[in-house]
Amino acid sequence: MTLIDLENVGLVFHVRRHGRVALKEYLLAGLFRRPRENIMEVRALEGINLQVGEGERLGIVGSNGAGKSTLLKLLAGIYPPTTGRREVRGRISSLFEISLGFESDATGWENIAFRGYLQGETPRSIREKIKPIAEFSELGKFLDMPVRYYSAGMMIRLAFSIATAVEPEILIVDEILAAGDAAFQVKARQRMTSLIARARAVIVVSHDMKAISQLCDRAIWMDRGRICRDGPADEVIEAYTNPSGPTKRQAA
Amino acid sequence: MQGYLSRVWTLRYFWWALVRNDLRKRYRGSAIGMGWSLLQPIAMTVVLCTVFCQIFHADLKTYAPFLLSGLTVWGFITAVMTQGCQCFFSSEAYIRQHPAPLAIYPLRVTLGASIHLVLGLLVVLSLAWCLHGLDNLRVLIGLLPALMLLLIFGWSLAICMGVVNVLFQDTTHLTEILLQILFYLTPILYPADLLRQRHLAWFLGMNPLAAFLELVRLPILEARLPPWQAFALAGAGALLPAAVAALLLSRIERRLVFYL
Repeated sequence: MTLIDLENVGLVFHVRRHGRVALKEYLLAGLFRRPRENIMEVRALEGINLQVGEGERLGIVGSNGAGKSTLLKLLAGIYPPTTGRREVRGRISSLFEISLGFESDATGWENIAFRGYLQGETPRSIREKIKPIAEFSELGKFLDMPVRYYSAGMMIRLAFSIATAVEPEILIVDEILAAGDAAFQVKARQRMTSLIARARAVIVVSHDMKAISQLCDRAIWMDRGRICRDGPADEVIEAYTNPSGPTKRQAA
Repeated sequence: MQGYLSRVWTLRYFWWALVRNDLRKRYRGSAIGMGWSLLQPIAMTVVLCTVFCQIFHADLKTYAPFLLSGLTVWGFITAVMTQGCQCFFSSEAYIRQHPAPLAIYPLRVTLGASIHLVLGLLVVLSLAWCLHGLDNLRVLIGLLPALMLLLIFGWSLAICMGVVNVLFQDTTHLTEILLQILFYLTPILYPADLLRQRHLAWFLGMNPLAAFLELVRLPILEARLPPWQAFALAGAGALLPAAVAALLLSRIERRLVFYL
């Protein structure tokens, strides 16, 4: 069964070169001419056709700015497609930019609840989960402190522990495999592996080719907003890491 | 529309927890904290009463609760408009992670301001009871629809301000100027009857803020229910921004994340 179906999806950003426009300038300019020259068009995704079925583990590789994270955000429903069709059957759990979005004046405990509610928990269900989350984060008495005093690493620990305390249907992950210090990374990797094993479908973006080849059975290679290769993970990684190989023509 | 509101409702634990967190932050230190944040309208009232009672020989016993009630409602309008401007930027991290309906962030601002409004009105009520007795108890039920309308008005306004501010950088600045002008155009410092006597009733009829003030003041200060015209004007004043907010969200909500 197909869980994710993208049909000829394109995404165009309109980026302002000089930040936001002032309302009074806009109104004045509207009287005389359209303030067009301020706007730059970025074709972030073009002609994406992608089906992900039940049980598939898909890795996405590509250089910076190729559109990998944009594609993930589109899959997660945060960016709407400009053209084409996006269809998703199932609940999406997404892990990206997780270390952002804490209420800095609230304690770690409170932030676990806030983030839990956003992920669809209720006060009743969070009560059962909050202890395992706290234990996994190993933050101990720091959880009684407002998170504004946390270090970056502590923030990531907390965020990772909350974000991965879900029963995922469709799991979308952006470069999360390196979380915290060495000891925590071992734990984090174990948890990711078990999450991935339980999810009905998984999509991972990473620059860590070893992780992709371990976790995924299929991979796509993205370049300048397009999918330039789609196939078994090892083949795609091989093609991506050896650009001088026979696949160079396809990538260009 | 209904589906949208039900998605907002599904996330109620989230925004309600954030509202409570905002309030706790604001009222930290319990009684003193709460008194501190209510001090601003009270201090304004004291200063203005001193001035007006000396110069214009206003009657302190009627003018003080009149002024305090006006400033309290005005504080709500100011809060939803200025904090509404910032609501999407300050929630950027949530918006970038989760496809939740954007209206929950203006709602957070509005509910915080509403709770503050209710606390302020309790102070006004106590003052009115001290000065005029408990006559108004039987009509206080009339405040409920007024508060409901203010909530809808505030939420819609905060949505509109938030969206416009994401698109145009000078919104906050223009809002401050607009609020200052509106403050003097609205019968906060002076009674609405002053305008009616000078045949400027049409002017009041165009200002829904005047209707909101009347809905709050008449039950508390004069122990009578407001006329239906005031409810109608306030209702229209709440529905118009609600319609604009719904239109803005339906047109641009999904794409707003690109401009953050």
